[in-house]
Order: sequence, then C-alpha cells, then structure tokens
Amino acid sequence: MTRPDPQRLRRTMALVGLYVLSVVIALTLAAVLIAITGGPWQKVLKALLDGSLLKPGRWGDTLAGATPLLVVALGAIIATRAGLVNIGQEGQLTVGAAAAAVVCTSFSGPFALVAGLVAGVVGGAVWAALAALLKFGRKVPEVITTLLLVFVASQGTGYLLTRTFLLLDPDPNKPNRSQTSAQLGTSTRIGRIHLFGNEIPWTVVGALVLAIVVSVVLHRTVWGFRLTVLGRNARTAQRIGVPVVIAGATALALSGGVAGLAGAVMLTSGSANFRLTPGFSNNVGWEGLLVALVARNRPLMCIPVAFVFGALRTGAGFLASTGVERSIVDVVRALLVLAMLVPPAILALWERRTSPPPAPVSTDEPIVSVVTA
Amino acid sequence: MIASLFHAIGDVTSSRAMYESAIRFGVVLAFAAIGEWVAERSGTLNISIQAMMIGGAYTSAVTWSSCHNVPVALIAGIVAGVVVALVQAHLSHQLAIDQFVVGLTLNLFVLGLALFLDSRWSAITQVVKPTRVPLLARLPLVGTALFGQPWPMYLVVPIVPLAWWLVFRTRWGLEVRSVGDNPQSADVSGIHVNKRRRQAILFAGATSGLGGGVLVLGQISINGYENGHVGLKGIIAIAAVIFGGWTLRGTVVGCLVFGYFFALQQTLPVLGYRVNAQLSATLPYAVALFFTAVFATRTRQPRALAQPFVRGLT
Amino acid sequence: MGAAAPTPAVRLSSITKHYGPITACQDVDLALIPGEIHGVLGENGAGKSTLMKILIGLVQPDGGTIELAGAETVIHDPQTAADLGIGMVHQHLSLVESLTVWENVLLGDHRRFDRRAARDEVMATAEHYGLVLEPDWRVSDLSAGLRQRVELIKCLRRDPKILILDEPTSVLTPAESEQLFATLRTAVAAEQRAVALVSHKLAEVLHATDVVTIMRQGRVVERTTTRTATATSLARAMVGREVSLRSSAAAFGAIDVVDAVAAVAVDSEHREEVLRVDGATLSRRGVLLLDGLSIHVHAGEIVGVAGVEGNGQRELGDVLASLVALDNGTVTVAGTPVKTGRAGAMARAGVAIIPEDRHDSGCVLDMTVADNLLIDRIGRVSRFGFIRRSAQRTRAKQMMSEFDVVGAGPDSTFGSLSGGNQQRVVLARELSNNPKVLVAAQPTRGLDVGAIEYMSGRIREAAAGGIGVLLISTELEEILDLSHRIVVLASGRVIGELNRVDATSERLGLLLGGIANTVESGGTSDDAS
Repeated sequence: MTRPDPQRLRRTMALVGLYVLSVVIALTLAAVLIAITGGPWQKVLKALLDGSLLKPGRWGDTLAGATPLLVVALGAIIATRAGLVNIGQEGQLTVGAAAAAVVCTSFSGPFALVAGLVAGVVGGAVWAALAALLKFGRKVPEVITTLLLVFVASQGTGYLLTRTFLLLDPDPNKPNRSQTSAQLGTSTRIGRIHLFGNEIPWTVVGALVLAIVVSVVLHRTVWGFRLTVLGRNARTAQRIGVPVVIAGATALALSGGVAGLAGAVMLTSGSANFRLTPGFSNNVGWEGLLVALVARNRPLMCIPVAFVFGALRTGAGFLASTGVERSIVDVVRALLVLAMLVPPAILALWERRTSPPPAPVSTDEPIVSVVTA
Repeated sequence: MIASLFHAIGDVTSSRAMYESAIRFGVVLAFAAIGEWVAERSGTLNISIQAMMIGGAYTSAVTWSSCHNVPVALIAGIVAGVVVALVQAHLSHQLAIDQFVVGLTLNLFVLGLALFLDSRWSAITQVVKPTRVPLLARLPLVGTALFGQPWPMYLVVPIVPLAWWLVFRTRWGLEVRSVGDNPQSADVSGIHVNKRRRQAILFAGATSGLGGGVLVLGQISINGYENGHVGLKGIIAIAAVIFGGWTLRGTVVGCLVFGYFFALQQTLPVLGYRVNAQLSATLPYAVALFFTAVFATRTRQPRALAQPFVRGLT
Repeated sequence: MGAAAPTPAVRLSSITKHYGPITACQDVDLALIPGEIHGVLGENGAGKSTLMKILIGLVQPDGGTIELAGAETVIHDPQTAADLGIGMVHQHLSLVESLTVWENVLLGDHRRFDRRAARDEVMATAEHYGLVLEPDWRVSDLSAGLRQRVELIKCLRRDPKILILDEPTSVLTPAESEQLFATLRTAVAAEQRAVALVSHKLAEVLHATDVVTIMRQGRVVERTTTRTATATSLARAMVGREVSLRSSAAAFGAIDVVDAVAAVAVDSEHREEVLRVDGATLSRRGVLLLDGLSIHVHAGEIVGVAGVEGNGQRELGDVLASLVALDNGTVTVAGTPVKTGRAGAMARAGVAIIPEDRHDSGCVLDMTVADNLLIDRIGRVSRFGFIRRSAQRTRAKQMMSEFDVVGAGPDSTFGSLSGGNQQRVVLARELSNNPKVLVAAQPTRGLDVGAIEYMSGRIREAAAGGIGVLLISTELEEILDLSHRIVVLASGRVIGELNRVDATSERLGLLLGGIANTVESGGTSDDAS
C-alpha cells in the first residue's frame, strides 16, 4: 500500500498533465475570445488580479465573496451524496435571503440576527422541499423542478419587494426609489474582522467550520454513511432500513437549507449594502454549484475552489477600466469548469479502452443486468 | 369579484391577440421540445436544450442584423444549436461525464458568452412580417393565430411529422428508441448506443437552435437579443415532454398549454388588466411545475432515461 | 460428418485474453464445422463466455487469430460479426422490452427498413422453424420462453452461418428446452449451420451436441465427440478432479445423480413457523405479479421455490427485502406481522436475504468490503454517531476469516472482488445477524464449483442450526439437492407442493411443463389476465 506503485504514479502524472493542458487550453480560448472582441487580454488579467488580490483591501473582499460560494457548494454536496441532482441553489438562496430579510428588518438585536440566519435555512429548505415533494410524490425529476423553482423564486421575491407591507422599504427617502428592502439595522449585521487593511466578515470563519463539519458528517458518521449508501444504491438502502423517500427528501431539504443559509449570510454580511434587492442572488447560487462540481463533491476541496471563484467575482469588478464586458468572467469560469471536468473523464476512457471491465474474475457474469421495475 | 373574474376570462378568450401570442410562444417551445423529445427517447435528459436555444437565438439575431436575411439567420441559429449539441454529446456520451453537469455548465457558459458577445456585437432585429393566408386568416378568433403568423413559425408544421416519422418509421428511430429503453440489449444487438444518443442530441440542437432563431425573429416586441427573452424556455420545453408523457402528441399539447400561459402573462396588461409583473411572470413556470406533477403519466418514460451507457458497466 | 477434414466455418487459433492479472482465455483453439452442434462446456469462470464474446466482437482478444471460412478476420464489434454471418442468442436476452417482436427482430439489422416486409418475414421464419410467434406482440408482455423464441428468430432470420447459444436453457422449462433443441437440430441438419452451444450443464451437452470442447481456467482441457463421452468423464475434465459431491453434480445438471440421493426428511411440522406469507398480491402497471401467493417455512427447514424465471420469484424476494409493499396479504415472521415495504422492517424482524442480483439490492459496489459487511449494522461500530474505523475494520476482518473471503482486505472496494467472494461477503453479513429466516434467491448463479459447494454447505448448515430457509431457484437440480419441501411457483402463485421424498425431477418437470403449456396456448400469461 505504501510502496510507490509505478502504474499509479504514471496515472497521477497523466492526470496532472491533462489538467495543466486543459486549463491552458481554456485560458487560451478565453484570451482569444477577448482578443477577437478587441480587448487586451494582458490588461484583463491584470485587472482581475488587482481586483481580487493585489489592490488594498481586495483579498478581504474576495474572502467575503467566496464565503457564500463555499456554503452553497457544501449544500450541493449533501444532495449529490444522496444521489439527487439539486441544481436550484440560486432559487433556494434567494428564498433564504428573503426569509432572513423579513426577520432581520422586523426585529433587531443579536437574537434577530440568529433568527434571521435560521429563517434563511428554513426558507431555502422549504423551497427545496417543494422539489422533493414533486420528486417523491409525483416522480418529476428534481433536475427540472429545482431549475423551474429558481425562476419562481426570483420573480416571487421581486414581488415581495413591490409591497411595503411585505418587504419594500417604507422609508420615503430610500435611495433612488428603487425596489429594495429596508436596510438592516447594525445589530443584525455580521461583525467584521479587521486584518491588514482588509475587512472580513466573521462568516468566513463560520463557512470554514461548516466545511469541516460537512466533511466529517459525510465521511465519519452513521448518518453520512447511510446517506452515502442511499446515493449509491437506493434499493440496498431501502433493504437495510434507510427510508428512501424520507432520507432523500431530508437530504434535498437540507441541501436547500444550506443554500438558504448562504443567502442569509450574504444579506447580513452586506453583499448588497444590507438590503434585499431584486436580483439579489447575483448568480452566487449557480457559481457555488460549479464550485462543488470542480471540487468533485469533496467538502474540503471546495475551500480553495471557492476562493478562486470568489477572486473571479471580485476581479470582475475591476474590468470596467479595461473596456471589456464583465460577463467575460462568466465565460472564463465556465471554461475553467469544463477544463476541470474533462481530464479525469479522458483518463477513465483510456483506462476503459486498455483494461478490463471493472470487476475482474467476473468474466462470466452477464453484461446485461436484468432490468428492474 | 367573481363577476369580474368571469369578465376577465371572457376578455381573454375573445382576444385574437391572446391566441396569436399563445401560438407564437407554443411554437417556439415546440421547436425545442420536439428535439428534447427525440433526445429523451434516446435516453438523455438534455438540460442543455436551454443553452442550445440561447445559442440559436443570439446567433440568429446577430446574423440577421449583419445580413438582414431571415433564412440565413435561421440557418445560423441551427448551426449554433448544433455546435452546443456537439459539445454536450461528446462530453456526456463519449467521455461519459455526467450529463447534468455538462448541461448545467454549458447553460451557464452559453449564457455568459451570449451576454459577452452581445456587448461587443449587439444584435438589432426586426420581426418578420406576418404572412396572412387569404380567407383563413379572417376566421374569427383563431384566424390570425393559425394562419397569420410570421413564416418561420410555420417551419414547425413539417418538423412535427418529420420527428414522428424519424422516430417511429425509420431504422434510426427504432435504434434511438432501443438505446433509450435498454442500451445493453441494443449494444449486444450491434447498435452503437452512444453514437445514436449523440445523434439524437444533435437533432435536438438543430431544432432548438432553430427555435431560438424563430423566437427572436418571429416574436413581436423583440428587437434585439436579450437573455431574458429566452428565459428558461428550454427547461419549460423539457417540462412539456414530461407533461406529454414522452409522446410526441402530448409534448406538442404541453407546449401549447405552456405557451398559453406565457401569452397570458404578456396579454393581460395589454387588455387593460393591472397585474403584478413579477407574479404574472412566474405564472408559466408555476403552471409547468403544477401540470407536470399532476398530469404526467410515465408509462412511456424511456427506461434508461438519464442513465449513461458504458459497455461492461452495470 | 466423418468426411476428411471438412472446412470449419470458423477457426479460432491460440486466442488469449487477459483482464489485468486474470487470464480469461489462454491459447484457446476452437473450430466450428457446418452441420455440427459443438458443445463448449466449462464451469462459470472457465472462459467460455469470454471466448464467445470475442467471437461476436464484444471483446477484443490480446492474441490469436480468427479465420472465417479459411480467411483471417478481425471482428471489431457485434455489427461486424453480424455482417460476417455470426449470430448469438444471449443468455440474458438482447431484447428491448418496450418494442414489439418484429421491431426487436429487426434491431441491429441494416437492410432496408420496411415494416410490412419485416413482419411477414418474422412470421415466415417462425413458421419455418415451427415456432408460434405474433410479430405485433410487445416483448414486455411475453414469458421468458417466448422471449427466447424471439431472440432465436432474430438470430436465424439473418441466416447466420455460425450460431452461438449461450446457456440457452437457463430460462426454459424442461419441455421448452426440448423444443429448442429440436429446432436447433433442424437448423443445423437441414441448413448446414455451425452451432456452438455454451453450457455448464452436462446433461444438455450430452443430449444435444455432436462434439464437445471442455474449458477450465481459460484453457481447453479436452476435446471429444459426444458419443464417446459420459457424464463422469466430462465432469472430471471440467473440474479437474473426481466429482463426488452432490452439490457440484447438481450444479452440472446431472439430474440422475441428484435423484439417486435419498432425501432427508425433516420433521419440521412440530417446529416453530418462522415465516408465513399469506395471500400476497401485487400488481404493477396492471400486470398481476403475485396472485394470492402463500408460503410458510418452519425453523430448520429448507423450502425450495421452483419455477421458471419471471413467475413472481423476483417480486417475492423484493417483498421479503422490504423493497416493495404488497397490495394485499400479510407477511409474518416468527409469529409477528411485519409491515411490507417499510425500509429495513424485514431485516429487523429477522429475515436475512441473499438477493438474486446482489449488485441491484445487496451491496454497494463502490464502497469497501468492510462497509458492505457492516452496512446494516454500522451503528454497532460507532460511538455517539461517529463510526469507529478501527473497530469496523477489526469486525470486518473477523467476519472475512469466518466466511473465507479471500483475495482482498477490508479496505478494497467490493466491486474488485470475484463473484464468489462477493457472494460470501453477502452471506457473512446476512448470517451473522442471527436471522430467523434466510431467503436465498439464486444463491449459486454464476459461481464456480468450489463456491457452489461452499454456498450449499452453508445453507444446509444454516438450516441445521435452526434457521428457516426459503430457497428461490430456477435450477431444478439445485432445488432437488437442497430442499426438504418444494413448492412450485407459476404466474405469481403456488401451483403445487411436494415433499422432497416424493419429488423427482420428472414430477417437477411435469409441474413446470404444465406452466409452459398454458403459456403457449394462451399466447402470453399477461394478456390472459
């Protein structure tokens, strides 16, 4: 086991090589794209670096931006672990933020802050539970329902922001009369750490702890074990006493709850100046999901990936000076995700072509498994 | 209260504009849904149908604004849809990367790309003038809806039977159905499972790219490309396939039903009703969720839907 | 047939195939002569299936050559094989359930696509071989025997020069098998096809073939004409030693050996009833799968459930694994009623299961052996909800040595184990739960002789230890070998019950044959209901 296995070493080398190659290709494609649209790619790179790390106070912002991404990614992992495809984090996050906004604009004090975060979890969980209901009640694939619910969530939240008795800021002097909620009072805002001229919300620490907790729960506890069995073989799970519907629905709701928590965290740490605004989620849900994909559903791997994606977000803010549209960052991010997905797949393909089907010795086993109802 | 509701229903059902709009939305959805239906019959739950529509919509729009030629613009839309489909097909059915992961990433990629390119080359479009079929277009209520639409809308008329014929009356279709239901059996029968699935996705790319093109060139009130125009219509198209219980007829009906609610959202303010824009915008999506849950039957659901095929595994 | 050196339709020379460290085929030579049925005999894992997969292009050999009618050929894929005139009837049929008979027959073909012509052709082919088949039947509605008929016609319609049958009788009643061999005879004698009959059953090889090639551990160990062979000589060549054990004899389908053994009757009636299924009814999508099924098992008794595949065995197993809820009827374990379909309820009540397809519901392939061994009792190696890995590993090692799981450690993935070892892991887990009932569904399917003997021994031991055993099997010989009491299942209900003492393979065969007749005359059993 501990001896270096030459075959394994070669495999690792090939994988690393492929990763480097595909990332280079992705970045080159991005550079070409910038170039043919008339922009200077070197300037774009510099702006991204300045905006995310180098200029004063920026890496703190990057950390703050990476936090909800990490939280969303952790939620996504929980659903994936149970074999469910929750891709509606954007909506669950929005509902979570709205729920938190209701609580935090109605009450004040530290308890209100906690209650707000809890409300965020509940909001996101309820939203994902709707998808669970359709999945387990009517067998509508959760891939579709979670997506459709994103749209309903963003428009529904938009509606809340058009009525003062709901969430619209009643203050007649509110800034530019836009449809935003009232600003959270200082007592319901997350505190900040001041470090080398950077302001970092405490939630950064919370998110790191959450990553460790999720990692431990999924890999080391009985609950995580049973969830894993459910995700890999639902019939075996049912046989050994994991109730497929209840456990699945719980996992999906929990996954949404964590996304909702991310929304509450964004609101209370001031991502939109401590107000709920239309379009508040700002793609954090989508990007957090991508973080989980790139990290291959490993909670701790999400930490560095979330940081990189957070850097892309904060860096994008500095692009205006270069004259390149900031949506290039979306393109670059998606290209990077594809670049991270392809190498292991290529390697697996090679291995399938050169070596046996997975279970050796079972050469006489049927290649057709009997279809089950 | 109830009286005013009946009044509103009366207004809506007697509005020619309402029917026109419903058919337009329904047709746009149908382009995508027919392709999705073929892809699902082959065993792929192809969420990148969304990306294919967006790609088709932007490419058609930008092509039209540079050459003002509708057929060329539509062909460009088809090409864009097929290009997205190529990426999806090869990543998910050759490299065996999870089809939802690929689809999601492609959706975000194409959305970002369209936004980025649009900032550089923004597309200005004009709606194709409606073609009115003599006499028939004068029929009450549904005359213009059925016989007075811009001509690209009518491309759906040959595509529906074409898709049916392909799937049920050709060897290719037989093989597509077999790989969607039992890829292992199809494989040992000598059918290249993943190749058929890739081809089905390419078909979906072509029709939904075309659907995107028809959307930007055939829809009133659109005069350029915006991501918002497509919204999540690709996903609604998938909902239509589920609603239709994986039959072609049901899928088309689903598109018309969902199209109707898109139209309702657009037409109510025109008819003078004050409805909250946000709430009415959620209407087609909420309806799609509700209807797929309530009406869908799954007797014809392809058994291997969304299951990857790798020889030797399972 | 005795003519000097007839040209073989296909000649495989020095075929070699390795799967990583495992050798599936080593220097295998095989020649199939037109007009001859060639038996390829060997235990599970002897390499015969791999060899056939090479012949139809599903697997590429590492070395060796294939000559078709004297010309060297490379067979890239099943399509190429079909073009070259090689057809195969697969053990697990290659049919698509949602399609009709004629659509299935056409699948994989690439001539002009003509519905009417295709249907006519299916009818004509069926008639030619004297088989009853309607082109418009949907395959999902057909019995296993009829499905195989479809598969056979799918193959024969393409007029193959070489026809391979892989364990064709595993889904058939004795009567159906008989008819199959008769059909086969026609196809061979009148039409000069070369046929390979792959089997692990001595009886049918002796009965139906002209020559036999015997394989063991990837090599050809003997070639002989069937006329000069005896059951004992074939069995010895197949296993590589004298075969005396009943279970291995049963595994080769040597019915006479099994029949000769005086059955041990167990006075079980006075013992506690550990399992009772009463009036179990289950339907799915309008198809009645279990139709008032009633079975009871006493402690210390092995009850064999015989029947042709697809008559409710799978559903019975699923019910006892808590995988489905009954529409009607009750399950009682040791006097206590157990709610069906509730996750884990059967396991908690004391029902252990060796599932028919362990990959489907018994195990998780990509988790470790230790995880799989303790999958249902992970709580026992945990403290405060946290799994203690060291305790888990220790316990797993203990169970592995107790049940002779070899060739891997507790941390290897379950999927990397051989079939026999996987089955032992399942057995270890299920038996160390102190169950009251053991449900063994097809417990020896796909295993080699050693593993079969081991499994049979363990099952007998379990019964001797006071566990009530429900043995669900489609292999008559296995049922006869192990059971004390036998019930016959058809269309989801019990149609006959025999004491082992009264049961002979003939009587059982007749009971099963009765089923075959109903299926034939009624078209399909499902249509009738």
